Amino acid sequence: MSVLKKKRHVSKKNKKDWRKHCDIKDVEDFLEDQRLEERLGKFDAKPDSELFVVDTEGADRVEDVKTEIAISVKPRSAKERKRQNIQEIPKCYEILLPTSKVQDPNAKRNILNPVGFKPTALSKITEKRRAQKGILEKKVEIARKNRKIALSKKKKLKQIRNTFDTDLWGATIPEAKGIPSSLCDEFVPPEAQLHNVLPERRLRPKPPPPKTVVTRAAVDVPHPGISYNPSFKEHQELLQDVVQHEQKMMKRQAHLRRVTTGMFKKVTQQEKENQWQEEMSVGLSKPHNPAQDSDPETDNEYKAVNPPVRNKKKDHKARRKQKEMLQEKERLKRLKVEKKKITDLYKLRQLQSSISKSELRQTEERLKREAKRSEASISALPALNAHKVPRKEPDFVDPQQLTGDLRKTTSTGNLLRDRYESLQRRGALAAAKLMMKKKKRVKSYFKAGHKVTDQDVERFLTRRKATK
Amino acid sequence: MVSKKKKKYTSGEGVQFMTRKAALKKLQLSLKDFRRICILKGIYPREPRNRKRAQKGAGGIKTLYHTKDIKFLLHEPILWKLRELKVYQQKIRRARAMKEYPKMRKYLRDYPDINIDHIVKERYPTFVDALRDLDDCLTLCFLFSTFPSLKRVPRDQSVLCRRLTVEFMHAIIAAKALRKVFVSVKGYYYQVELEGQTITWIVPHHFSFQPQSKDEVDFKIMSTFVEFYTMMLGFVNFKLYHSLNLVYPPMLTATFSSDDKELVDEQAYVAERIAAMNISIARLAGANDIEELPEMDLFQAEGEDPQKLEEAKQEAEKVKKLKTMFKGLKFYINREVPREPLVFIIRCFGGEVSWDKDHFVGATFDESDESIAYHIVDRPSMEKQYLSRYYVQPQWVFDSVNARTLLPINKYLMGAVLPPHLSPFVDKTRDQVYKPPEERELNDPDFKPLNRDDSGSDIEEASDEDEEENEEESDPDIDPEKALTKQYQEEVDEDSPSEDDDNNDSDSEKKQLAKEKKKAMAVTTGVPHKEHPYQKEIEDKQAFRLREKLVQKKYQKLYKSMKAGQEKRKKEIWLLRKKRRLHDEKLKAEKKAEKKQQKLQAFQEATA
Repeated sequence: MSVLKKKRHVSKKNKKDWRKHCDIKDVEDFLEDQRLEERLGKFDAKPDSELFVVDTEGADRVEDVKTEIAISVKPRSAKERKRQNIQEIPKCYEILLPTSKVQDPNAKRNILNPVGFKPTALSKITEKRRAQKGILEKKVEIARKNRKIALSKKKKLKQIRNTFDTDLWGATIPEAKGIPSSLCDEFVPPEAQLHNVLPERRLRPKPPPPKTVVTRAAVDVPHPGISYNPSFKEHQELLQDVVQHEQKMMKRQAHLRRVTTGMFKKVTQQEKENQWQEEMSVGLSKPHNPAQDSDPETDNEYKAVNPPVRNKKKDHKARRKQKEMLQEKERLKRLKVEKKKITDLYKLRQLQSSISKSELRQTEERLKREAKRSEASISALPALNAHKVPRKEPDFVDPQQLTGDLRKTTSTGNLLRDRYESLQRRGALAAAKLMMKKKKRVKSYFKAGHKVTDQDVERFLTRRKATK
Repeated sequence: MVSKKKKKYTSGEGVQFMTRKAALKKLQLSLKDFRRICILKGIYPREPRNRKRAQKGAGGIKTLYHTKDIKFLLHEPILWKLRELKVYQQKIRRARAMKEYPKMRKYLRDYPDINIDHIVKERYPTFVDALRDLDDCLTLCFLFSTFPSLKRVPRDQSVLCRRLTVEFMHAIIAAKALRKVFVSVKGYYYQVELEGQTITWIVPHHFSFQPQSKDEVDFKIMSTFVEFYTMMLGFVNFKLYHSLNLVYPPMLTATFSSDDKELVDEQAYVAERIAAMNISIARLAGANDIEELPEMDLFQAEGEDPQKLEEAKQEAEKVKKLKTMFKGLKFYINREVPREPLVFIIRCFGGEVSWDKDHFVGATFDESDESIAYHIVDRPSMEKQYLSRYYVQPQWVFDSVNARTLLPINKYLMGAVLPPHLSPFVDKTRDQVYKPPEERELNDPDFKPLNRDDSGSDIEEASDEDEEENEEESDPDIDPEKALTKQYQEEVDEDSPSEDDDNNDSDSEKKQLAKEKKKAMAVTTGVPHKEHPYQKEIEDKQAFRLREKLVQKKYQKLYKSMKAGQEKRKKEIWLLRKKRRLHDEKLKAEKKAEKKQQKLQAFQEATA
């Protein structure tokens, strides 16, 4: 009983419902066909030779041919067969082979290294043996050679830096100034030439260096007294310089001591303790001392240390009196000022002269100060930093050192430090306080079980004796 | 409308300066790199006029830089290199931390260099500028050439310094430019004159390397300075060699290349260096000797002092003489004498040098060579002496250079107590100081207490010297003035009698007068005008006094005090000379008496 199924009405409102109740079989079939075609190739496109075979022999001859071939071909040995089988892909893996004719879109997916790529344990050993013999792979040898060449090239390049082979100041031709050669023509105006100079070759204005750097001599004129064989007078002068310098320093030291440590009073330990006790017991009631009980007549009446203050109001009279007093004071003050004004009128000339005198004195002093300051600024040490530049100290030559013999001269002082300080004094370097890196303090200790004490040693010795 | 209020520190000194921190931020550099580039480019911290304003109101003392300086740095192509290097350093640091030492070593080996030669040109636009700044450069290079490899100094730096300094010395030898030498306890001071620039530098004594304590000098900074200075010295050398028609680089011994791996001991190093100095270097093919400078032309410009011109001419002549002082003389340096300075000096003035060939390399002739003129010795006596040569102490060479002539050797002979080695760097303008005759003799070769050298006995010598002294003293100071006044007096006297006659005589002698007039009217033979030298001097003096009067009022006090000071110093000198004279006379008398007594004694002994 085949009854035509009644078409049921279903809702296809949502995507889900749409999918559920839509018949897409024909589409899927088509796609399946297409995929199959892709895989196996299109049926129409295939040549006939691939689709059809021309049967030239009868059905019965087929077996004969097989036997004939078997006869004509030399029978293989078992070993050969095995080898051939190795080359063939084993049956079990055939399933892993792609059946599809579609090319792998990601060709790089599986790179299989050929056999012998990875060194085996055996090959490693042989390689090592060869390397010991000095036989190297050609690849390695070439690489080595190339590396050597590259290194020598690099070295040469570095040394070129130390071969000075250009006359920096010789060429005043415009090309040396970075002007491109195409513009080196007398018809090209200099503005245009300079405009085309590359930015990195352009000479840029730079403010002049500080005055101290330019004017101060790099190598000071030596004091004649530091000669290895000085005349007596010059050496004495040098010593005098040193003495004066030292005295100045001592004076300064003394001053500093006076204004710092000397400012504080020295107190003995006992005094310090007493002071402490006194300070700490301020406000505390003192212990009862019967000797100090000087008021025997007070009759044990209570008396507060700080009696209560009463807010006593002033009466009218007192207020008036106070007011009057203030007014009187004010009046007198004014009177005095008025009086002074009148007397000052007569003092005008005197005032004027005193003012002019003081102004004169001030200008004089100012001039003096300026002169002094300008004089000091000529040799002043530059303040470029919070640190101070060390002042130049006169060279001291010990009279004992002077032998008057070139062979026996011993040098004093440190030339490098002189240079360093001279740079600082000229303002080419900011003064600095050299901070040394602190060494890390490493605490050494024995691991608990590894400590060897005297007892251990003794025990070891006794045991050793016992075994002997 | 109210105008917008101006913010503080937006103009003037507030924007002129920049703190170091701000500069670092602007340049995007680390402090290390900033320091380096500042030294290379010659940018120095500044001292502002008003620090508070320059620091934008902040207290304390900060290191300030000129804003324009920093902007100038901003365009430096090296800046990019430094930033690249930063990455490279990070790689090295990482390799070290990961303990990938071969990688680290490779990085260190291939560490890129920074080329800074364009900076040399930029900082010194002309060659003379570079020469002017050579003092510091040479001192540092000579100092670093004595250093072994130190921790913060690149390894090849000291070798490079060594090479460049020797090359420079060769250039000086070829140019004959050395002028002054001073041996101090610190080292040797040399002064050369190149292209009109005087360059002074110090070379340390050669002792074994003195260890530098770390807390005194920042080696990193000094090595950066040296890095720039070597570059500069290299180019200066190149230029010098070319101007002297020499081949650069000169073929010196092999010790100056940095790729030398073999360990040579210090002594051998020094010996090689000195040997290198004794080689004469190759000249350019076809080039003559250095063309002699033409004679100085003397133009008497308006208002210029003829005396000064004369002085300049004399100076030039002296220098010319100095240049060939040792020409054709052969020197032999004994073993104990420090060879380096002596070889340099002697070769500078055309001498030939050699030394013991058994001990040091590079000897050019043997000790037994009969043509050796001077044998330099620094020991009290020698066993084997040649008659054909003088045995002198090394100081003779130094003093001769400073005196600009070959000094008489008698005071410098072997074992003699040397006269003091005086500094040639004293200010010659301060001549108003008492100088003992010995010093005057040293400084001025023309000044000679004549019989000092050739007289046989001491006594005679002393007496002669004294006489000389007396003459010397009286001559320049007192005599001319006296003579002048005398002359003046005479002239006045000459003039006066005629005038007196005219006044005294009465009219009665009018006839005589008329006669005289007639006589005067008669034509006489011409007499050439004779210029009176003294008259001229007197006139000059008068003119000078007139000029003195013209000194501005505000300078009059200063002038007077100056004159008074001169007078005072003159008097002091005179006094000291007198003292010296008296002292010498006394000595002489004592010696004479002593000798007389000795003679008497001898006579008595003989007779007895």
